[in-house]
Amino acid sequence: MARVMLDVSSVYKSFSEPVLVDISLNLNGGEILGVVGPNGCGKTTLLRIMAGLELPDRGSVRRKGKVGIVFQEDRLLPWKTLWENVALGLKYHGMRGEELAKRVREYSSMVGLTDSDLSLHPRKASGGTRRKAALARALVLEPEILLLDEPFTGLDVKARTSLREALKWIWDEYGLSTVIVSHQLEELLPLADRVYVLTPKPARVAKEIDLRGMDLERRLERVKEALFHILSRSGTE
Amino acid sequence: MVAPVGERSGTMTQGRKEAGKGREIAFRTGRILAGLFVLAIWISASATGMLPCPAEVLAYLLSMKLEDVAPQVLKTLYNSITGFSLSFLASMVLGLLSHKLSLVKGFSEALSEIFNSTSALVWSLVLVATLGVLSPLPPILVVAAVTLPHVLTATVSALSSADPGLLEAVRSVGAKPSDEFFEVILPSSVPLLASASRVGLGTALRISVVAEAFGSSGGVGYMIIRSYNLADASGVLAWSIVLIALVLGLDQLILKPLERRAKRWLE
Ligand SMILES: Nc1ncnc2c1ncn2[C@@H]1O[C@H](COP(=O)(O)OP(=O)(O)OP(=O)(O)O)[C@@H](O)[C@H]1O
Ligand SMILES: [Mg+2]
Repeated sequence: MARVMLDVSSVYKSFSEPVLVDISLNLNGGEILGVVGPNGCGKTTLLRIMAGLELPDRGSVRRKGKVGIVFQEDRLLPWKTLWENVALGLKYHGMRGEELAKRVREYSSMVGLTDSDLSLHPRKASGGTRRKAALARALVLEPEILLLDEPFTGLDVKARTSLREALKWIWDEYGLSTVIVSHQLEELLPLADRVYVLTPKPARVAKEIDLRGMDLERRLERVKEALFHILSRSGTE
Repeated sequence: MVAPVGERSGTMTQGRKEAGKGREIAFRTGRILAGLFVLAIWISASATGMLPCPAEVLAYLLSMKLEDVAPQVLKTLYNSITGFSLSFLASMVLGLLSHKLSLVKGFSEALSEIFNSTSALVWSLVLVATLGVLSPLPPILVVAAVTLPHVLTATVSALSSADPGLLEAVRSVGAKPSDEFFEVILPSSVPLLASASRVGLGTALRISVVAEAFGSSGGVGYMIIRSYNLADASGVLAWSIVLIALVLGLDQLILKPLERRAKRWLE
């Protein structure tokens, strides 16, 4: 279980100004890792670097397995149905026919998408349904590492609960190593094993907290305390 | 006195709705006035005796036989659509290659600039002189040359209008460059290409008749100039009205609805 699935080491990234400074963190097998930090500090950039969609200016990222990523904005193709969106990756890898259909059905039902959901175009689907389709699109490729960017943002309570149950089920079943970026602590902390707290831009790792063995109240207390500490130190609120 | 909030906001939206309706009626009245304005100019011009009056032209139009009109209309439609398709295809190829190759980008840009500053009249004369008055090609090529700059510019921007987020998303599930093109770049460009096609086809029809006038291979433009050479003023106007009806009909009944559908594509 202690196998390191993802190893981010001394990563530095700058666009017009530094965004990530000397970030080192690791994701262990079967673990759910939370990343929290102030708005605009560089969390999405960090996730894209983990996925290999962006290269760091300095430092390295080592992945011990296939990566699946779910973006903050769903990014479903609007001219395709949810079914077609979920099937995209399989199609690009040359899968066709009944084999493809079976795989799409399997992972769609795993995240709780019904056949009638799958026949919709994104604009006709609810936010929760779209988010699940984006999740299924990543899962059908059977990644060993799952990266989720703000998976609960923009969803109502019911959709959040439903998504959380789907994720829980997948973890219990597959023990997928996962990184979740989220500022919704109430959603994130019950799920996460460990949390990295980042500073305001440019992001550095301010604190690493192991949450295992704590109840939710204690988890919230510890993470909020860390966030309060870095925010008051940087003078922003 | 303060009205209850619900009631006040109710009357406000009602008021806004009525203002909107008023504007809509004024707008439609303006459109009708434009038609009457054109008619008034025509009537006053015909009062000088230099132009036949609307009634004469109407009588001429009613006396035209479908089997005489249809082939000429079809010829003009054929010239315009073929010419436009040529420039559309050339634009797609150049637009795609411009994406990757600066040489092609420079080539297309300069070509657009040259073509854009060359008049349909010059193209018609040069092509008819080169290919002969009997050749069916000049109208098609003139249409292609004249519409190319606009279509090319529109195609280049359409092909770069794809959302980088969507491109990244398909790349993250293993899309190859050809998948990116056919599944994201091309579909994303549909609305802009539809708008460009609407403008381009309208232009094509109006340009086609200019080139037709210089050849003798038929088309509405050829009929206009033939009537002119026979000193048949009613014929000139009648065929011109056929052309206007063709341009407006194609635009309002086919191209505009298609463009509207294409715009909804990305939502
Ligand atoms: N491709 C890019 N080019 C230039 N600047 C970028 C790029 N991507 C991100 N940035 C900048 O980097 C900073 C961090 O952005 P990022 O999206 O990673 O933050 P975030 O923590 O995910 O924000 P949010 O809380 O809004 O999700 C921002 O200031 C952003 O403007
Ligand atoms: Mg973000």
